[in-house]
Amino acid sequence: MTLFTQSALALSLSLSVALSANVAQAESLAIINATVHTATESGVLNNATVVIENGTITAINPQSLQADKTIDAKGAMLTPGFIAAMNDMGLVEVGAVATSRDASDKEADITFDPSLAFNPKTTTIPFARKGGITRNIVTSNGGESIFAGQTFVVDLTGDFDSVIASNTGLFVQLGATDEGSRAMGMQQLIHQLEDAQKAFTQAKKANQSDKDDSDEPSREDSIISAVLAGEKPLIVAVDRASDIMHLIKLKQVYNLDVVIVNGADAVLVTEQLVQASIPVVIDAMRNLPDSFDSLHNSLNNAGQLAKAGVKVAIALPGDSHSIYALRYSAGNAVANGMDYNTAMAAVTANIADIFHLDSGRIAVGKPADLVLWSGDPFEFSSKVQKMWIAGEEQSLQSRQDELRDRYQHKTDMPAAYR
Amino acid sequence: MAKLMPSLVAVTLTSAIAGCSPAEQQDPQVTINANPYPSTYYALPNSMTLLKNATVLTGTGERHEDADVLIKEGKISAVGQQLVAEGAVIVDAKGKWITPGIIDVHSHLGVYPSPNAESHNDGNEMTNPVTAEVWAEHSVWPQDPGFNRAREGGITTLQILPGSANLIGGRGVTLKNVPATTMQAMKFPHAPYGLKMACGENPKNLYGSRNELPMTRMGNMAGYRTAFIQATEYKRAWDKYDADYAAGKNPVAPERDLMKDTLKGVLEGDILIHNHCYKAEEMAMMIDLGKEFGYHAGTFHHAVEAYKIADLLAENGNCAAMWPDWWGFKLEAYDMVLENVAMVDAIKNSCAVVHSDSGVTIQRLNQETAKIMHAANDNGFELTEQHVIGWITANAAKSLGISDKTGSLEAGKNADVVIWNTNPFSVYAQAEKVFIDGAKVYDRQDPAYQAQSDFMLGQQ
Repeated sequence: MTLFTQSALALSLSLSVALSANVAQAESLAIINATVHTATESGVLNNATVVIENGTITAINPQSLQADKTIDAKGAMLTPGFIAAMNDMGLVEVGAVATSRDASDKEADITFDPSLAFNPKTTTIPFARKGGITRNIVTSNGGESIFAGQTFVVDLTGDFDSVIASNTGLFVQLGATDEGSRAMGMQQLIHQLEDAQKAFTQAKKANQSDKDDSDEPSREDSIISAVLAGEKPLIVAVDRASDIMHLIKLKQVYNLDVVIVNGADAVLVTEQLVQASIPVVIDAMRNLPDSFDSLHNSLNNAGQLAKAGVKVAIALPGDSHSIYALRYSAGNAVANGMDYNTAMAAVTANIADIFHLDSGRIAVGKPADLVLWSGDPFEFSSKVQKMWIAGEEQSLQSRQDELRDRYQHKTDMPAAYR
Repeated sequence: MAKLMPSLVAVTLTSAIAGCSPAEQQDPQVTINANPYPSTYYALPNSMTLLKNATVLTGTGERHEDADVLIKEGKISAVGQQLVAEGAVIVDAKGKWITPGIIDVHSHLGVYPSPNAESHNDGNEMTNPVTAEVWAEHSVWPQDPGFNRAREGGITTLQILPGSANLIGGRGVTLKNVPATTMQAMKFPHAPYGLKMACGENPKNLYGSRNELPMTRMGNMAGYRTAFIQATEYKRAWDKYDADYAAGKNPVAPERDLMKDTLKGVLEGDILIHNHCYKAEEMAMMIDLGKEFGYHAGTFHHAVEAYKIADLLAENGNCAAMWPDWWGFKLEAYDMVLENVAMVDAIKNSCAVVHSDSGVTIQRLNQETAKIMHAANDNGFELTEQHVIGWITANAAKSLGISDKTGSLEAGKNADVVIWNTNPFSVYAQAEKVFIDGAKVYDRQDPAYQAQSDFMLGQQ
């Protein structure tokens, strides 16, 4: 019975809306008369046309328009889908329910791959879509080690194939600690890099002298090797300026791809960050001195860092239940001095660049992750009108909508029947 | 009038007895000082001020365009067009919006201050499930930098509550958000005390993990009931003592009990309940619990499922203080809907409040309200700015029992006022000037009115 109901529902959905991948990919779609925020050097295009086909943006303002289907945006804003980052979406359904929680493990280490626990059917995904979010860089919260494991990238279709890439970055947590000294953590990172570098140099020599005598590198070594080669970002959650300075030095020594997350004190070392080309992923709403590591938290930080030339991404790190509100963080950053287009980039293009995603821009050849808004995406008065992920139109209904409707529209029968 | 009655009765009784028999030798009457840590608050320097030509939301549902607000002797004197006041400081507020000062009914500033440190974790007395004897005011660190951040977001009044670890966590205190070196200097004069209670997961999980009562929700209920049975007996003992004394006898006063003093204050209606409670079925039981012991169940805080029992809350005169979108951190907070506040508000005689419970969102209760207003309006509601401002002003004042003093821009109310650079329900809105009792306490353009905590001085 249950099975029958579900398939009947699925059938009616695919008939009513062109949601299924096959249908979407067979058709080309033109969105016309849109105010397109490209998040590229082209800036904002007025009365523009964007054509998508087979999940990809195939044309912008083509000379002649040929598409199976056309949507008139009537001047509404079309933006790249927003990209969330460094949260536990799909790893936690309810924070306090242990069995619904896979975001941390005491034994998490360099090799920990939380993507194996990702649940695309979590209720947090449809709710996040309502905020215009189409992709997400998911992270574990780690365990006892400074190494919290590997990040992974998902799209927000909620499909079983929505993990786009796993093991995309190595996440490290440094700085203030409840027990012992922060020096130990930093030292561990330094030693790990030093030792790996030495081992690789020796292995190279050994390989040159005797090719048969080489061992397979351990899983851990392969990851560190990718970090040392700059192929895999070293994503470090850290606040205090003195800790950030150590990381800047490490980048200089090993030429790593370092990403700072949080970075309360980043404003104290802006010049050094710019010089070292280290981006900062910031929670723009964080303005309390919540620890001695974060005395310089301020609503102005996002704008200030960006103005100084640091590549800034805005994120809501940690809990994933309300990442739909990312757009309001961007709005608050604007209210506190960030340039509007920079704030738009901070939730699209910049985050894509920092985490090596191909999305985040409206340009020919990019995945068609698009959001059509009823107004300014950062404003409370606006909502998502339509959303596409890789060309597929997405539902904008969530569990919350069903709960509301059930209690808003009363009948003489109990709510359970509604 | 009601207040006068008991003492008249007492006087009559005393003289009647004195008339017929020689008065028994009476020891001095033992009374309980209801206000041993009195407010020393005074308004900061202020002068007559006329705010001109703004969009004014009064907090009582009215909206006036191009309107003026006159502040005189710390009170709202008038709201209207083209007011004239000789000698007043004129503030040009053209293009700006004016609202009552924002009130947060649920804050832990000062008791869980920034920076987060063991030394300052003073919000939860987790040593017994019933700690009605503790008072949050005794934990407040006035130098919490969060008070200043909150003022920059328009917060003029806030209730500091103990945490929710206990069934009965202790008294809350209502503060004026002025910079001060003592708690008493922030204390809102004549505001009633609150009593923090907590339903659900927090108390049962904490004490259950210690193999103590409560381990279950039924244990929770047993815990409240046991406490109120004791309080009822305590109150009876004191009532008898007072009556006997008034009758000219020389009774022995009951032994003071700090825990029961507070619960007696609840039974007498002097202390208002503020109940951390998420779920529909639990709120319904807490309403009945109040009826069982003869007190009012007060305000439900968080109340994530309040929309399921909006009728019941309005019928019983309970406020619900809610968030727009916090959910999923516990199972009892799973059934969030963005429109919760609007759905509670939609019932006649309701009292919907938006609260923060956070040092971060307390700075933007206007934005929290905006999220709800727009989500609701997308789904069939027709809410206006002039209406929803009441959720963080007039209704919040009602929840705290101070609506005769603040929460609206009516003549005679305390001049707690915010000037916003634009519509306060825009993401780009910022509080530009904040007044408490007519005194300017914050000015975004003037560093002389940007208070900083001692703690932040000299930090590099």
